[in-house]
Amino acid sequence: MNSPLAIVIRREYLERVQRKSFIISTLLMPIFMIGLMLTPALVAVFSGPENKTVAIVDQSQQQIGRHLQSDGELRFLCVDSDQKSAMADKSYDAVLVIGPDAVSRPDDIRFYSHEAASMQTERSISSQLESIIEGERLKGYDIENLAGILKEIQVNVDLDTYRISEGDDASETSSLASYIVGMFMSLMLYMFIMLYGQMVMTSIIEEKNNRVLEIVVSSVNPTSLMMGKIVGIGLVAITQILIWGVLLTACSMWVLPLVAGAAESGAGIDLGMYGSPAYIMQLFAYILLFLIGGYLFYSSIYAAVGSAVDNIQDASQLQSVAIIPIILGMVISMAVVQTPSSSLAMWASIIPFTSPMVMIARIPFGIPAWQIWLSVVLLYASFVGMVWVAAKIYRVGIFMYGKKPSVAELLRWARYK
Amino acid sequence: MDNIICVDGVSKSFAKHKALDNVSLNVRRGCVYGLLGPNGAGKTTLIRTINHITAPDTGTILFNGHPLTAADTASIGYLPEERGLYKKMKVGDQALFFARLKGLDKAEATKQLKSWFERLEISDWWNKKVEELSKGMAQKVQFIVTVLHRPELLIFDEPFSGFDPINANVLKREILKLRDEGATVIFSTHNMASVEELCDEITLINRSHNILSGPVRELRRQFSDNSYEFTFTGDALALRDALAATTVSFENTEPDRQGQDRAILRLKDAAALPHAIAAANAAVRLEGFRAILPSMDDIFIKTVEASNLNTPVLQ
Repeated sequence: MNSPLAIVIRREYLERVQRKSFIISTLLMPIFMIGLMLTPALVAVFSGPENKTVAIVDQSQQQIGRHLQSDGELRFLCVDSDQKSAMADKSYDAVLVIGPDAVSRPDDIRFYSHEAASMQTERSISSQLESIIEGERLKGYDIENLAGILKEIQVNVDLDTYRISEGDDASETSSLASYIVGMFMSLMLYMFIMLYGQMVMTSIIEEKNNRVLEIVVSSVNPTSLMMGKIVGIGLVAITQILIWGVLLTACSMWVLPLVAGAAESGAGIDLGMYGSPAYIMQLFAYILLFLIGGYLFYSSIYAAVGSAVDNIQDASQLQSVAIIPIILGMVISMAVVQTPSSSLAMWASIIPFTSPMVMIARIPFGIPAWQIWLSVVLLYASFVGMVWVAAKIYRVGIFMYGKKPSVAELLRWARYK
Repeated sequence: MDNIICVDGVSKSFAKHKALDNVSLNVRRGCVYGLLGPNGAGKTTLIRTINHITAPDTGTILFNGHPLTAADTASIGYLPEERGLYKKMKVGDQALFFARLKGLDKAEATKQLKSWFERLEISDWWNKKVEELSKGMAQKVQFIVTVLHRPELLIFDEPFSGFDPINANVLKREILKLRDEGATVIFSTHNMASVEELCDEITLINRSHNILSGPVRELRRQFSDNSYEFTFTGDALALRDALAATTVSFENTEPDRQGQDRAILRLKDAAALPHAIAAANAAVRLEGFRAILPSMDDIFIKTVEASNLNTPVLQ
């Protein structure tokens, strides 16, 4: 382990892992993430119901207004006054005016509100009115024992989703949970590739700026130096992921059963196999596989960019070569979690630029193994190609000071002997 | 002839710029070799090719008689002109890192480093971060890193810039000591006084070409304009008249500290010296004479200007 490459890797790795900021961010990040996930729930809990009073000015013959049920958020009050005086009365938050022929002409119902009505309020009122008017219309047919018939035909379908897998037993899944897990994993990959890719870039720029580079390259060839940097920083990323993995596994063994119970009874979300630590470990292995591939691929682009510029400011424009496809991958994976089997999803998860983010978002939905492996093979193969090009650019770029080069110039450098 | 480095017909181009054009030179083992030239002449590119950092487009570089390979860099120590250190790293760790890159094992490197740190009186810096050091301090560390693995060939690019005279002298002493221990030194600088003081041979590079090579003493003799200083007792005017036939110019200068009269004169050619001495002896009492050799500064300026005139300005 005394080759120059190993020595560079060791330095890059130890330099970062021993920093206080690494230790703190590794431990704080999960707390931050959990906080981020809990925020919407907390907001919902603390913001409470709206508590609005709605005055009903009912001009319909059937007096359908009285059938409206008050709930926690909306209180309905039938008033005798006309529309104008009801609207003038500040004690009502809103006025619902039901026209004389509301049953035959439902568009003759209007809702006036002092403040903008929330979508939820609107939906709740219109769905109540729909069923009331439906009831009134049915009454018009004069069917005997209507209530009994209605009760009998009422049905409630709760779809249990199973995934057909190669093995004999179909495993239970839930699309919602897959959606959340897929999105989360994709987001994580995006974050890691961006963060650590940029770390490679800044570290190269710093070396160049510092002029320590010239001393280093007199003992190590530039390609080894670049690879050492990419691998060393990659190992830092893996260390961080492994620490989180251990925390997550511990969490899934101790905490998840509790959460799963609460989720199933409370929110009606079926976690399915996401309650099983074995499946989580499997997902974790996929994350590592695509994270490493994606990181290696993108960090070599970042390395080439970093070698070509003198300072971070100059890098901002050139690094869009890396940032745009990464963000594109993220955006596509947001669409992909809605339709995981579309052809966009398939191609984007196989083409190396977007594949890490998109594939990891699709995996929770269960996709053919050949697609996963094709994607992996392509990703790693294109990493090798990308590193080869990046090394050529790097070798020239690190000695170029001054003018900020264009992408075309970078490609020309790659062709130098 | 025992040459440690033979550069033969090396050319190197970048996009629109030819940095080296058919440059050849030989560096004798055990000498201090000066690499001179104006800014942007191609010195750094040449040094980089000798260091196996960049490959020449054409031409060959022999190291100890065989074509230069990456493995040879372990036998070379290079102190670049643009030099820095990792700011956040501790001095000791950093020196160890570089030493290990050159192939020293940890124990050996630590031992050597400690002794060098003592020798340059910087032992208490071992645990300091580089960002806490001044520029001169950092350069001492860089110097140690360059020479630690006892390379056969040392390459210094402007080694004295940034050093105060005291530390520059310490450095000069150490460089000469390394040479006495058998190392060959290639030395690039703009400081011509230090070239006269340290270098055995030089090469002058201008606009990508090698325009002048040779031992410093020979070059100075070659570039001599036959100026001499005569010290004498007697009548300066009589001396001038006596020498009129053999000299181009004659200047009577202030007496030296011993009160001895002096004259600086330029002879018509080198062969005129015996005649001039005979004539001077007849006119005054000639106490002594010595040749005034041109300084490296003069040679540098003269050669570069001449070469610039011969080569029309491109672009």
